[in-house]
Amino acid sequence: MAWKRLALIFGVGLPLLAALAYGFTRDPREIPSPLIGRPAPPFKVRLTDGSEVKLADLRGKVVFLNFWASWCPPCRAEARLLEASWQRHRDQDVVFLGVNMQDREEAAREFLREFAISYPNGLDGGNRIAIDYGVWGIPETFFIDRNGRITYKQIGAFDGKTIHAKLEEARQGVISREEGKGEYRSIR
Amino acid sequence: MLEIASGLRCPVCQNLSVADSTSEMAREMRALIVDELRAGKRPEEIRAYFVSKYGEWILLSPTPRGVGLVVWILPALGTLAGLGGTAWLLKRWSRRGPAPAPPPDDAVVSRIRAAVDGLSVTLSAGEARQVEALQELRFDYEAGKLSTLDYEDLRALYEARAAAVLAASEGSGEGAEARAPAPSGPPRARPAAAVRAWRWAAAALFLVGFGAAIGYFLPQSVRARDGGSPTGDFLTGTRDQGASVDARDVPALLAAGRQAMEGQQFDRAIGFFRRALEVDPGEPTAQASLGLILLRAGHADRALQAFDRALSSDPTSQQALWGKGLVLHESLGRTAEAVRTWEALLLQDLSPQDREHVLSVVAEARQRLAGRPAPAAGSTR
Repeated sequence: MAWKRLALIFGVGLPLLAALAYGFTRDPREIPSPLIGRPAPPFKVRLTDGSEVKLADLRGKVVFLNFWASWCPPCRAEARLLEASWQRHRDQDVVFLGVNMQDREEAAREFLREFAISYPNGLDGGNRIAIDYGVWGIPETFFIDRNGRITYKQIGAFDGKTIHAKLEEARQGVISREEGKGEYRSIR
Repeated sequence: MLEIASGLRCPVCQNLSVADSTSEMAREMRALIVDELRAGKRPEEIRAYFVSKYGEWILLSPTPRGVGLVVWILPALGTLAGLGGTAWLLKRWSRRGPAPAPPPDDAVVSRIRAAVDGLSVTLSAGEARQVEALQELRFDYEAGKLSTLDYEDLRALYEARAAAVLAASEGSGEGAEARAPAPSGPPRARPAAAVRAWRWAAAALFLVGFGAAIGYFLPQSVRARDGGSPTGDFLTGTRDQGASVDARDVPALLAAGRQAMEGQQFDRAIGFFRRALEVDPGEPTAQASLGLILLRAGHADRALQAFDRALSSDPTSQQALWGKGLVLHESLGRTAEAVRTWEALLLQDLSPQDREHVLSVVAEARQRLAGRPAPAAGSTR
Protein backbone atom coordinates (compact mmCIF):
# COMPACT_ATOMS: atom_id res chain seq x y z
CA MET A 1 0.00 0.00 0.00
CA ALA A 2 2.78 2.38 0.98
CA TRP A 3 4.59 2.00 -2.34
CA LYS A 4 1.34 2.56 -4.20
CA ARG A 5 0.79 5.81 -2.41
CA LEU A 6 4.37 6.86 -3.07
CA ALA A 7 4.01 5.98 -6.73
CA LEU A 8 0.86 8.09 -6.90
CA ILE A 9 2.60 11.06 -5.32
CA PHE A 10 5.70 10.85 -7.48
CA GLY A 11 3.95 9.75 -10.65
CA VAL A 12 1.09 12.21 -10.68
CA GLY A 13 1.48 14.81 -7.97
CA LEU A 14 5.05 15.89 -8.64
CA PRO A 15 4.73 16.30 -12.41
CA LEU A 16 1.52 18.27 -11.86
CA LEU A 17 3.23 20.46 -9.30
CA ALA A 18 6.20 20.93 -11.60
CA ALA A 19 3.91 21.96 -14.47
CA LEU A 20 2.15 24.48 -12.25
CA ALA A 21 5.44 25.82 -10.91
CA TYR A 22 6.70 26.25 -14.47
CA GLY A 23 3.50 28.08 -15.31
CA PHE A 24 4.11 30.55 -12.52
CA THR A 25 7.51 31.47 -13.92
CA ARG A 26 5.92 32.57 -17.18
CA ASP A 27 4.39 35.95 -18.00
CA PRO A 28 0.87 35.06 -19.12
CA ARG A 29 0.64 38.27 -21.13
CA GLU A 30 3.66 37.46 -23.22
CA ILE A 31 2.96 36.60 -26.84
CA PRO A 32 6.14 35.35 -28.53
CA SER A 33 6.42 36.96 -31.92
CA PRO A 34 6.65 34.71 -34.97
CA LEU A 35 8.01 37.64 -36.98
CA ILE A 36 11.65 37.60 -35.89
CA GLY A 37 13.87 36.54 -38.76
CA ARG A 38 11.05 37.10 -41.21
CA PRO A 39 10.64 39.96 -43.69
CA ALA A 40 9.12 43.00 -41.98
CA PRO A 41 5.49 43.56 -43.03
CA PRO A 42 5.40 46.43 -45.51
CA PHE A 43 3.46 49.56 -44.58
CA LYS A 44 2.87 53.15 -45.51
CA VAL A 45 2.35 55.71 -42.79
CA ARG A 46 1.46 59.38 -42.64
CA LEU A 47 4.03 61.33 -40.67
CA THR A 48 3.27 64.14 -38.26
CA ASP A 49 4.63 66.64 -40.77
CA GLY A 50 2.02 65.49 -43.29
CA SER A 51 4.36 63.57 -45.58
CA GLU A 52 4.13 59.83 -46.10
CA VAL A 53 6.79 57.20 -45.69
CA LYS A 54 6.86 53.64 -47.01
CA LEU A 55 8.93 50.95 -45.36
CA ALA A 56 10.07 49.84 -48.83
CA ASP A 57 11.67 53.28 -49.32
CA LEU A 58 13.95 52.56 -46.37
CA ARG A 59 15.43 49.40 -47.87
CA GLY A 60 19.22 49.47 -47.59
CA LYS A 61 19.08 51.13 -44.20
CA VAL A 62 18.74 49.71 -40.72
CA VAL A 63 15.31 50.67 -39.39
CA PHE A 64 14.52 51.18 -35.72
CA LEU A 65 10.73 50.93 -35.64
CA ASN A 66 9.18 51.99 -32.33
CA PHE A 67 5.47 51.70 -31.50
CA TRP A 68 4.41 54.14 -28.79
CA ALA A 69 1.54 56.10 -27.28
CA SER A 70 1.52 59.29 -25.25
CA TRP A 71 -0.50 57.67 -22.42
CA CYS A 72 2.05 54.93 -21.76
CA PRO A 73 4.50 55.66 -18.91
CA PRO A 74 7.32 53.35 -20.14
CA CYS A 75 7.14 55.19 -23.49
CA ARG A 76 7.72 58.44 -21.66
CA ALA A 77 10.52 56.82 -19.71
CA GLU A 78 12.42 55.77 -22.81
CA ALA A 79 11.64 58.83 -24.96
CA ARG A 80 14.77 60.83 -24.09
CA LEU A 81 16.95 57.78 -24.48
CA LEU A 82 15.54 57.12 -27.95
CA GLU A 83 16.14 60.71 -29.01
CA ALA A 84 19.70 60.55 -27.65
CA SER A 85 20.33 57.28 -29.52
CA TRP A 86 18.96 58.83 -32.68
CA GLN A 87 21.34 61.77 -32.32
CA ARG A 88 24.18 59.32 -31.87
CA HIS A 89 23.32 57.12 -34.86
CA ARG A 90 21.69 59.51 -37.30
CA ASP A 91 24.82 60.00 -39.40
CA GLN A 92 25.09 56.29 -40.01
CA ASP A 93 22.76 54.37 -42.30
CA VAL A 94 20.16 54.05 -39.56
CA VAL A 95 16.61 55.35 -39.60
CA PHE A 96 14.52 55.80 -36.47
CA LEU A 97 10.81 55.70 -37.12
CA GLY A 98 8.18 56.09 -34.41
CA VAL A 99 4.66 54.84 -34.93
CA ASN A 100 2.03 56.36 -32.66
CA MET A 101 -0.88 54.04 -31.94
CA GLN A 102 -4.09 54.07 -29.93
CA ASP A 103 -3.72 57.75 -29.27
CA ARG A 104 -5.16 61.15 -30.01
CA GLU A 105 -3.24 63.09 -32.59
CA GLU A 106 -3.08 66.17 -30.38
CA ALA A 107 -1.70 64.20 -27.42
CA ALA A 108 0.86 62.56 -29.70
CA ARG A 109 2.09 65.90 -31.01
CA GLU A 110 2.30 67.24 -27.47
CA PHE A 111 4.42 64.21 -26.50
CA LEU A 112 6.79 64.80 -29.42
CA ARG A 113 7.10 68.46 -28.46
CA GLU A 114 7.65 67.68 -24.79
CA PHE A 115 10.56 65.32 -25.46
CA ALA A 116 11.84 67.27 -28.49
CA ILE A 117 11.76 64.16 -30.64
CA SER A 118 13.47 64.91 -33.93
CA TYR A 119 13.19 61.58 -35.75
CA PRO A 120 10.16 60.99 -37.98
CA ASN A 121 6.96 59.75 -36.36
CA GLY A 122 3.92 58.31 -38.07
CA LEU A 123 0.31 58.14 -36.98
CA ASP A 124 -1.23 54.70 -37.22
CA GLY A 125 -4.94 55.44 -37.42
CA GLY A 126 -6.90 52.24 -37.05
CA ASN A 127 -3.77 50.48 -35.73
CA ARG A 128 -3.45 48.43 -38.88
CA ILE A 129 0.34 48.64 -38.77
CA ALA A 130 0.35 47.59 -35.12
CA ILE A 131 -1.81 44.55 -35.87
CA ASP A 132 0.41 43.79 -38.85
CA TYR A 133 3.39 43.65 -36.48
CA GLY A 134 1.52 41.65 -33.85
CA VAL A 135 1.86 44.40 -31.25
CA TRP A 136 0.39 43.48 -27.85
CA GLY A 137 2.28 45.67 -25.41
CA ILE A 138 3.62 49.15 -25.56
CA PRO A 139 6.25 50.35 -26.25
CA GLU A 140 7.33 47.74 -28.74
CA THR A 141 10.36 48.08 -30.98
CA PHE A 142 11.44 46.18 -34.07
CA PHE A 143 14.92 46.27 -35.57
CA ILE A 144 14.89 45.77 -39.33
CA ASP A 145 18.09 45.08 -41.23
CA ARG A 146 19.15 46.40 -44.64
CA ASN A 147 17.33 43.60 -46.42
CA GLY A 148 14.06 44.31 -44.68
CA ARG A 149 14.26 41.42 -42.22
CA ILE A 150 13.27 41.78 -38.58
CA THR A 151 16.37 40.95 -36.54
CA TYR A 152 15.22 41.78 -33.03
CA LYS A 153 12.14 42.73 -31.10
CA GLN A 154 12.01 44.49 -27.77
CA ILE A 155 8.86 44.62 -25.69
CA GLY A 156 8.94 47.46 -23.19
CA ALA A 157 11.32 50.29 -22.49
CA PHE A 158 15.02 50.10 -23.36
CA ASP A 159 18.10 50.48 -21.28
CA GLY A 160 20.98 52.41 -22.79
CA LYS A 161 23.24 49.62 -24.02
CA THR A 162 20.71 47.47 -25.80
CA ILE A 163 19.82 49.93 -28.53
CA HIS A 164 23.41 50.41 -29.61
CA ALA A 165 24.22 46.69 -29.47
CA LYS A 166 21.12 45.60 -31.34
CA LEU A 167 21.54 48.29 -34.00
CA GLU A 168 25.04 46.98 -34.52
CA GLU A 169 23.69 43.43 -34.87
CA ALA A 170 21.00 44.59 -37.28
CA ARG A 171 23.66 46.33 -39.35
CA GLN A 172 25.46 43.00 -39.65
CA GLY A 173 22.21 41.13 -40.26
CA VAL A 174 22.52 39.08 -37.07
CA ILE A 175 19.17 37.73 -35.96
CA SER A 176 18.57 37.50 -32.21
CA ARG A 177 17.10 34.31 -30.94
CA GLU A 178 15.31 35.92 -28.02
CA GLU A 179 13.11 38.93 -27.62
CA GLY A 180 14.15 41.69 -25.25
CA LYS A 181 11.97 42.75 -22.40
CA GLY A 182 11.65 45.90 -20.36
CA GLU A 183 8.86 47.56 -18.48
CA TYR A 184 5.76 47.71 -20.65
CA ARG A 185 2.06 48.44 -20.58
CA SER A 186 -0.62 46.37 -22.17
CA ILE A 187 -2.23 48.05 -25.13
CA ARG A 188 -5.85 49.06 -24.83
CA MET B 1 -17.16 38.15 -38.95
CA LEU B 2 -18.28 37.01 -35.55
CA GLU B 3 -17.36 33.44 -36.39
CA ILE B 4 -13.75 34.41 -37.08
CA ALA B 5 -13.54 36.92 -34.23
CA SER B 6 -14.88 34.49 -31.66
CA GLY B 7 -12.09 32.05 -32.53
CA LEU B 8 -9.38 34.64 -31.94
CA ARG B 9 -7.95 35.55 -28.58
CA CYS B 10 -7.86 39.22 -27.72
CA PRO B 11 -4.22 40.26 -27.16
CA VAL B 12 -5.28 42.84 -24.59
CA CYS B 13 -7.57 40.96 -22.26
CA GLN B 14 -6.10 37.49 -22.90
CA ASN B 15 -9.10 35.50 -21.77
CA LEU B 16 -11.75 36.95 -24.03
CA SER B 17 -12.24 36.41 -27.71
CA VAL B 18 -11.87 39.27 -30.14
CA ALA B 19 -15.64 39.09 -30.62
CA ASP B 20 -16.41 39.53 -26.92
CA SER B 21 -13.75 42.03 -25.93
CA THR B 22 -14.61 45.71 -25.71
CA SER B 23 -10.98 46.81 -25.96
CA GLU B 24 -9.92 49.22 -28.67
CA MET B 25 -7.56 46.66 -30.18
CA ALA B 26 -10.30 44.04 -30.46
CA ARG B 27 -12.58 46.59 -32.08
CA GLU B 28 -9.94 47.36 -34.65
CA MET B 29 -9.33 43.68 -35.26
CA ARG B 30 -13.03 43.22 -35.89
CA ALA B 31 -12.96 46.13 -38.33
CA LEU B 32 -9.96 44.54 -40.03
CA ILE B 33 -11.79 41.22 -40.34
CA VAL B 34 -14.80 42.96 -41.88
CA ASP B 35 -12.58 44.80 -44.36
CA GLU B 36 -10.76 41.62 -45.35
CA LEU B 37 -14.02 39.71 -45.77
CA ARG B 38 -15.33 42.50 -47.93
CA ALA B 39 -12.13 42.33 -49.96
CA GLY B 40 -13.04 38.71 -50.70
CA LYS B 41 -10.67 36.93 -48.32
CA ARG B 42 -11.71 33.53 -47.02
CA PRO B 43 -12.06 32.99 -43.25
CA GLU B 44 -9.13 30.55 -43.20
CA GLU B 45 -6.92 33.14 -44.89
CA ILE B 46 -7.85 35.77 -42.32
CA ARG B 47 -7.19 33.35 -39.48
CA ALA B 48 -3.84 32.45 -41.03
CA TYR B 49 -3.02 36.14 -41.25
CA PHE B 50 -3.53 36.61 -37.53
CA VAL B 51 -1.52 33.47 -36.76
CA SER B 52 1.34 34.80 -38.89
CA LYS B 53 1.37 37.97 -36.77
CA TYR B 54 0.70 36.70 -33.26
CA GLY B 55 1.54 33.01 -33.60
CA GLU B 56 -0.66 30.12 -32.52
CA TRP B 57 -1.26 32.09 -29.34
CA ILE B 58 -4.02 34.05 -31.03
CA LEU B 59 -6.18 30.98 -31.67
CA LEU B 60 -8.58 30.22 -28.83
CA SER B 61 -8.64 26.57 -29.83
CA PRO B 62 -5.12 25.56 -30.83
CA THR B 63 -4.59 23.40 -33.89
CA PRO B 64 -4.39 19.71 -32.92
CA ARG B 65 -0.66 19.39 -33.71
CA GLY B 66 2.42 19.05 -31.51
CA VAL B 67 1.95 20.57 -28.07
CA GLY B 68 -1.52 21.75 -29.09
CA LEU B 69 -2.56 18.13 -29.36
CA VAL B 70 -2.22 17.76 -25.59
CA VAL B 71 -5.02 20.24 -25.04
CA TRP B 72 -7.32 18.18 -27.21
CA ILE B 73 -6.42 14.80 -25.72
CA LEU B 74 -6.15 15.67 -22.03
CA PRO B 75 -9.86 16.33 -21.41
CA ALA B 76 -10.78 13.00 -22.97
CA LEU B 77 -8.08 11.23 -20.93
CA GLY B 78 -9.23 13.03 -17.80
CA THR B 79 -12.84 12.03 -18.37
CA LEU B 80 -11.84 8.43 -18.93
CA ALA B 81 -9.65 8.41 -15.82
CA GLY B 82 -12.42 10.01 -13.78
CA LEU B 83 -15.04 7.55 -14.97
CA GLY B 84 -12.70 4.63 -14.42
CA GLY B 85 -11.78 5.87 -10.96
CA THR B 86 -15.43 6.36 -10.02
CA ALA B 87 -16.37 2.91 -11.24
CA TRP B 88 -13.49 1.37 -9.28
CA LEU B 89 -14.40 3.26 -6.12
CA LEU B 90 -18.09 2.43 -6.38
CA LYS B 91 -17.19 -1.19 -6.85
CA ARG B 92 -14.95 -1.12 -3.80
CA TRP B 93 -17.58 0.58 -1.67
CA SER B 94 -20.34 -1.78 -2.68
CA ARG B 95 -18.05 -4.71 -1.87
CA ARG B 96 -17.20 -3.25 1.52
CA GLY B 97 -20.88 -3.14 2.57
CA PRO B 98 -21.67 -6.84 3.03
CA ALA B 99 -18.00 -7.73 3.53
CA PRO B 100 -17.60 -7.07 7.28
CA ALA B 101 -17.08 -10.52 8.50
CA PRO B 102 -19.48 -12.67 10.48
CA PRO B 103 -21.72 -10.55 12.66
CA PRO B 104 -21.28 -11.28 16.31
CA ASP B 105 -23.30 -13.59 18.43
CA ASP B 106 -26.35 -12.18 20.23
CA ALA B 107 -24.99 -13.26 23.59
CA VAL B 108 -21.73 -11.41 22.96
CA VAL B 109 -23.59 -8.35 21.71
CA SER B 110 -25.82 -8.23 24.74
CA ARG B 111 -22.77 -8.54 26.93
CA ILE B 112 -21.11 -5.63 25.16
CA ARG B 113 -24.27 -3.56 25.36
CA ALA B 114 -24.45 -4.22 29.04
CA ALA B 115 -20.90 -2.95 29.35
CA VAL B 116 -21.74 0.14 27.31
CA ASP B 117 -24.76 0.79 29.52
CA GLY B 118 -22.42 0.90 32.45
CA LEU B 119 -23.36 -2.37 34.14
CA SER B 120 -20.49 -3.96 35.97
CA VAL B 121 -18.92 -6.46 33.66
CA THR B 122 -15.28 -7.41 34.01
CA LEU B 123 -13.30 -6.23 31.01
CA SER B 124 -9.75 -6.43 29.79
CA ALA B 125 -7.98 -3.23 28.66
CA GLY B 126 -8.66 -3.96 24.97
CA GLU B 127 -12.31 -4.60 25.62
CA ALA B 128 -12.63 -1.48 27.75
CA ARG B 129 -11.29 0.59 24.81
CA GLN B 130 -13.90 -0.87 22.47
CA VAL B 131 -16.64 -0.22 24.98
CA GLU B 132 -15.45 3.35 25.41
CA ALA B 133 -15.61 3.87 21.67
CA LEU B 134 -19.16 2.61 21.66
CA GLN B 135 -20.08 4.88 24.52
CA GLU B 136 -18.64 7.85 22.68
CA LEU B 137 -20.55 6.88 19.60
CA ARG B 138 -23.79 6.77 21.54
CA PHE B 139 -22.97 10.08 23.13
CA ASP B 140 -22.49 11.64 19.69
CA TYR B 141 -25.74 10.12 18.52
CA GLU B 142 -27.63 11.44 21.49
CA ALA B 143 -26.05 14.85 21.00
CA GLY B 144 -27.57 14.80 17.53
CA LYS B 145 -24.27 14.61 15.63
CA LEU B 146 -25.19 11.37 13.87
CA SER B 147 -28.23 10.23 11.95
CA THR B 148 -29.98 7.10 13.13
CA LEU B 149 -28.89 5.27 10.01
CA ASP B 150 -25.23 6.18 10.48
CA TYR B 151 -25.42 5.40 14.16
CA GLU B 152 -26.82 1.94 13.62
CA ASP B 153 -24.30 1.30 10.91
CA LEU B 154 -21.35 2.40 13.00
CA ARG B 155 -22.64 0.66 16.08
CA ALA B 156 -22.81 -2.61 14.20
CA LEU B 157 -19.23 -2.09 13.06
CA TYR B 158 -17.95 -1.21 16.53
CA GLU B 159 -19.83 -4.08 18.13
CA ALA B 160 -18.34 -6.47 15.63
CA ARG B 161 -14.90 -5.16 16.56
CA ALA B 162 -15.62 -5.42 20.23
CA ALA B 163 -16.88 -8.96 19.74
CA ALA B 164 -13.68 -9.87 17.91
CA VAL B 165 -11.59 -8.49 20.77
CA LEU B 166 -13.78 -10.39 23.23
CA ALA B 167 -13.46 -13.59 21.24
CA ALA B 168 -9.70 -13.23 21.05
CA SER B 169 -9.41 -12.73 24.77
CA GLU B 170 -11.80 -15.51 25.76
CA GLY B 171 -10.13 -18.24 23.82
CA SER B 172 -11.00 -20.29 20.79
CA GLY B 173 -14.18 -21.95 22.06
CA GLU B 174 -16.37 -18.92 22.30
CA GLY B 175 -14.60 -17.37 19.29
CA ALA B 176 -15.81 -20.18 17.04
CA GLU B 177 -19.26 -19.74 18.40
CA ALA B 178 -19.16 -16.06 17.72
CA ARG B 179 -18.17 -16.71 14.13
CA ALA B 180 -21.41 -18.62 13.49
CA PRO B 181 -23.83 -16.44 11.53
CA ALA B 182 -26.41 -14.82 13.77
CA PRO B 183 -29.92 -14.73 12.35
CA SER B 184 -30.59 -11.08 13.05
CA GLY B 185 -27.30 -9.69 11.70
CA PRO B 186 -27.25 -9.81 7.92
CA PRO B 187 -30.78 -8.58 7.17
CA ARG B 188 -30.07 -5.44 9.15
CA ALA B 189 -26.60 -4.73 7.76
CA ARG B 190 -27.44 -5.20 4.11
CA PRO B 191 -30.20 -2.62 3.72
CA ALA B 192 -28.01 -0.08 5.45
CA ALA B 193 -25.17 -0.74 3.00
CA ALA B 194 -27.52 -0.57 0.04
CA VAL B 195 -28.97 2.74 1.23
CA ARG B 196 -25.43 4.05 1.60
CA ALA B 197 -24.48 3.05 -1.90
CA TRP B 198 -27.60 4.72 -3.25
CA ARG B 199 -26.81 7.82 -1.30
CA TRP B 200 -23.35 7.97 -2.82
CA ALA B 201 -24.72 7.44 -6.28
CA ALA B 202 -27.35 10.14 -5.79
CA ALA B 203 -24.72 12.55 -4.49
CA ALA B 204 -22.48 11.80 -7.45
CA LEU B 205 -25.38 12.27 -9.86
CA PHE B 206 -26.31 15.54 -8.20
CA LEU B 207 -22.73 16.81 -8.41
CA VAL B 208 -22.44 15.93 -12.08
CA GLY B 209 -25.78 17.58 -12.80
CA PHE B 210 -24.84 20.63 -10.81
CA GLY B 211 -21.53 20.97 -12.63
CA ALA B 212 -23.20 20.61 -15.99
CA ALA B 213 -25.86 23.17 -15.09
CA ILE B 214 -23.22 25.66 -13.94
CA GLY B 215 -21.17 25.05 -17.04
CA TYR B 216 -24.18 25.69 -19.20
CA PHE B 217 -25.88 28.59 -17.47
CA LEU B 218 -22.99 30.59 -16.07
CA PRO B 219 -21.38 31.55 -19.38
CA GLN B 220 -24.80 32.47 -20.68
CA SER B 221 -25.71 34.67 -17.78
CA VAL B 222 -22.42 36.55 -17.59
CA ARG B 223 -21.81 37.16 -21.28
CA ALA B 224 -20.98 40.79 -22.00
CA ARG B 225 -24.16 42.64 -22.79
CA ASP B 226 -24.58 45.97 -24.55
CA GLY B 227 -21.99 48.38 -23.30
CA GLY B 228 -19.69 45.59 -22.18
CA SER B 229 -21.17 45.08 -18.73
CA PRO B 230 -21.45 41.41 -17.78
CA THR B 231 -24.68 41.92 -15.88
CA GLY B 232 -26.26 44.54 -18.13
CA ASP B 233 -28.74 46.59 -16.15
CA PHE B 234 -29.67 43.70 -13.90
CA LEU B 235 -27.68 44.79 -10.84
CA THR B 236 -27.53 48.52 -11.29
CA GLY B 237 -31.12 49.04 -12.39
CA THR B 238 -29.94 51.56 -14.95
CA ARG B 239 -32.22 50.32 -17.60
CA ASP B 240 -32.23 52.57 -20.64
CA GLN B 241 -34.83 52.44 -23.29
CA GLY B 242 -32.10 51.60 -25.78
CA ALA B 243 -31.72 48.14 -24.32
CA SER B 244 -35.18 47.31 -25.54
CA VAL B 245 -34.21 47.91 -29.15
CA ASP B 246 -34.09 44.64 -30.99
CA ALA B 247 -30.45 43.95 -31.76
CA ARG B 248 -31.22 43.01 -35.36
CA ASP B 249 -33.69 45.74 -36.24
CA VAL B 250 -31.51 48.17 -38.21
CA PRO B 251 -33.99 51.06 -38.63
CA ALA B 252 -34.79 50.96 -34.90
CA LEU B 253 -31.07 50.92 -34.05
CA LEU B 254 -30.46 53.89 -36.33
CA ALA B 255 -33.35 55.81 -34.78
CA ALA B 256 -32.10 55.04 -31.27
CA GLY B 257 -28.60 56.07 -32.31
CA ARG B 258 -29.82 59.35 -33.77
CA GLN B 259 -31.78 60.04 -30.61
CA ALA B 260 -28.74 59.35 -28.44
CA MET B 261 -26.67 61.60 -30.66
CA GLU B 262 -29.17 64.43 -30.27
CA GLY B 263 -29.04 63.91 -26.52
CA GLN B 264 -25.22 64.23 -26.66
CA GLN B 265 -24.85 60.63 -25.44
CA PHE B 266 -22.19 59.75 -27.93
CA ASP B 267 -21.06 56.54 -26.25
CA ARG B 268 -24.53 55.09 -26.51
CA ALA B 269 -24.97 56.40 -30.03
CA ILE B 270 -21.73 54.68 -31.06
CA GLY B 271 -23.03 51.45 -29.53
CA PHE B 272 -26.26 51.58 -31.54
CA PHE B 273 -24.52 52.39 -34.79
CA ARG B 274 -21.96 49.66 -34.28
CA ARG B 275 -24.71 47.15 -33.66
CA ALA B 276 -26.45 48.28 -36.80
CA LEU B 277 -23.17 47.78 -38.65
CA GLU B 278 -22.80 44.31 -37.21
CA VAL B 279 -26.15 43.38 -38.72
CA ASP B 280 -25.58 45.24 -41.97
CA PRO B 281 -21.88 46.03 -42.41
CA GLY B 282 -22.49 48.35 -45.36
CA GLU B 283 -25.22 50.46 -43.73
CA PRO B 284 -24.30 54.02 -44.92
CA THR B 285 -26.29 56.01 -42.34
CA ALA B 286 -24.63 54.22 -39.43
CA GLN B 287 -21.17 54.68 -40.97
CA ALA B 288 -21.79 58.35 -41.69
CA SER B 289 -23.14 58.95 -38.18
CA LEU B 290 -20.12 57.23 -36.66
CA GLY B 291 -18.01 59.47 -38.86
CA LEU B 292 -19.70 62.57 -37.50
CA ILE B 293 -19.12 61.41 -33.93
CA LEU B 294 -15.48 60.61 -34.69
CA LEU B 295 -15.07 64.01 -36.29
CA ARG B 296 -16.49 65.67 -33.22
CA ALA B 297 -14.10 63.66 -31.05
CA GLY B 298 -11.20 64.92 -33.14
CA HIS B 299 -10.35 61.69 -35.00
CA ALA B 300 -10.31 63.28 -38.42
CA ASP B 301 -8.62 60.35 -40.15
CA ARG B 302 -10.98 57.74 -38.86
CA ALA B 303 -13.95 59.98 -39.52
CA LEU B 304 -12.81 60.31 -43.12
CA GLN B 305 -12.48 56.51 -43.36
CA ALA B 306 -16.02 56.12 -42.02
CA PHE B 307 -17.43 58.61 -44.51
CA ASP B 308 -15.60 56.94 -47.37
CA ARG B 309 -16.98 53.57 -46.30
CA ALA B 310 -20.48 55.05 -46.17
CA LEU B 311 -20.04 56.58 -49.61
CA SER B 312 -18.70 53.36 -51.06
CA SER B 313 -21.98 51.65 -50.25
CA ASP B 314 -24.16 54.67 -50.99
CA PRO B 315 -22.48 57.44 -53.02
CA THR B 316 -25.47 59.73 -52.46
CA SER B 317 -25.56 59.55 -48.65
CA GLN B 318 -26.20 63.17 -47.67
CA GLN B 319 -24.84 62.78 -44.16
CA ALA B 320 -21.63 61.23 -45.43
CA LEU B 321 -21.11 63.86 -48.15
CA TRP B 322 -21.68 66.65 -45.65
CA GLY B 323 -19.37 65.06 -43.09
CA LYS B 324 -16.64 64.26 -45.58
CA GLY B 325 -16.65 67.88 -46.74
CA LEU B 326 -16.37 69.00 -43.12
CA VAL B 327 -13.39 66.74 -42.40
CA LEU B 328 -11.58 67.76 -45.55
CA HIS B 329 -12.24 71.43 -45.02
CA GLU B 330 -11.87 71.89 -41.31
CA SER B 331 -9.48 69.22 -40.11
CA LEU B 332 -7.32 68.32 -43.06
CA GLY B 333 -7.26 71.67 -44.86
CA ARG B 334 -8.11 70.08 -48.21
CA THR B 335 -10.67 72.74 -49.01
CA ALA B 336 -10.76 72.19 -52.77
CA GLU B 337 -11.77 68.54 -52.27
CA ALA B 338 -14.27 69.62 -49.64
CA VAL B 339 -15.95 71.99 -52.09
CA ARG B 340 -16.14 69.22 -54.69
CA THR B 341 -17.75 66.92 -52.11
CA TRP B 342 -20.29 69.52 -51.11
CA GLU B 343 -21.13 70.19 -54.74
CA ALA B 344 -22.01 66.51 -55.03
CA LEU B 345 -24.18 66.99 -51.97
CA LEU B 346 -25.98 69.94 -53.59
CA LEU B 347 -26.99 67.67 -56.46
CA GLN B 348 -29.02 65.66 -53.95
CA ASP B 349 -32.57 66.36 -52.89
CA LEU B 350 -32.02 68.62 -49.87
CA SER B 351 -34.47 70.51 -47.71
CA PRO B 352 -34.46 74.30 -48.42
CA GLN B 353 -32.78 75.17 -45.09
CA ASP B 354 -30.11 72.54 -45.54
CA ARG B 355 -29.45 73.66 -49.10
CA GLU B 356 -29.10 77.25 -47.98
CA HIS B 357 -26.72 76.27 -45.21
CA VAL B 358 -24.56 74.15 -47.50
CA LEU B 359 -24.51 76.92 -50.12
CA SER B 360 -23.34 79.45 -47.56
CA VAL B 361 -20.63 77.13 -46.29
CA VAL B 362 -19.48 76.38 -49.84
CA ALA B 363 -19.41 80.08 -50.66
CA GLU B 364 -17.29 80.73 -47.60
CA ALA B 365 -14.93 77.90 -48.48
CA ARG B 366 -14.60 79.13 -52.07
CA GLN B 367 -13.79 82.55 -50.77
CA ARG B 368 -11.08 81.17 -48.60
CA LEU B 369 -9.78 79.08 -51.49
CA ALA B 370 -9.71 82.01 -53.89
CA GLY B 371 -8.28 84.52 -51.46
CA ARG B 372 -5.86 82.35 -49.55
CA PRO B 373 -3.38 85.23 -49.22
CA ALA B 374 -6.24 87.46 -48.07
CA PRO B 375 -5.98 86.60 -44.38
CA ALA B 376 -2.27 87.36 -44.53
CA ALA B 377 -3.02 90.70 -46.14
CA GLY B 378 -5.63 91.26 -43.50
CA SER B 379 -3.16 90.64 -40.73
CA THR B 380 -0.75 93.25 -42.04
CA ARG B 381 -3.48 95.82 -41.98
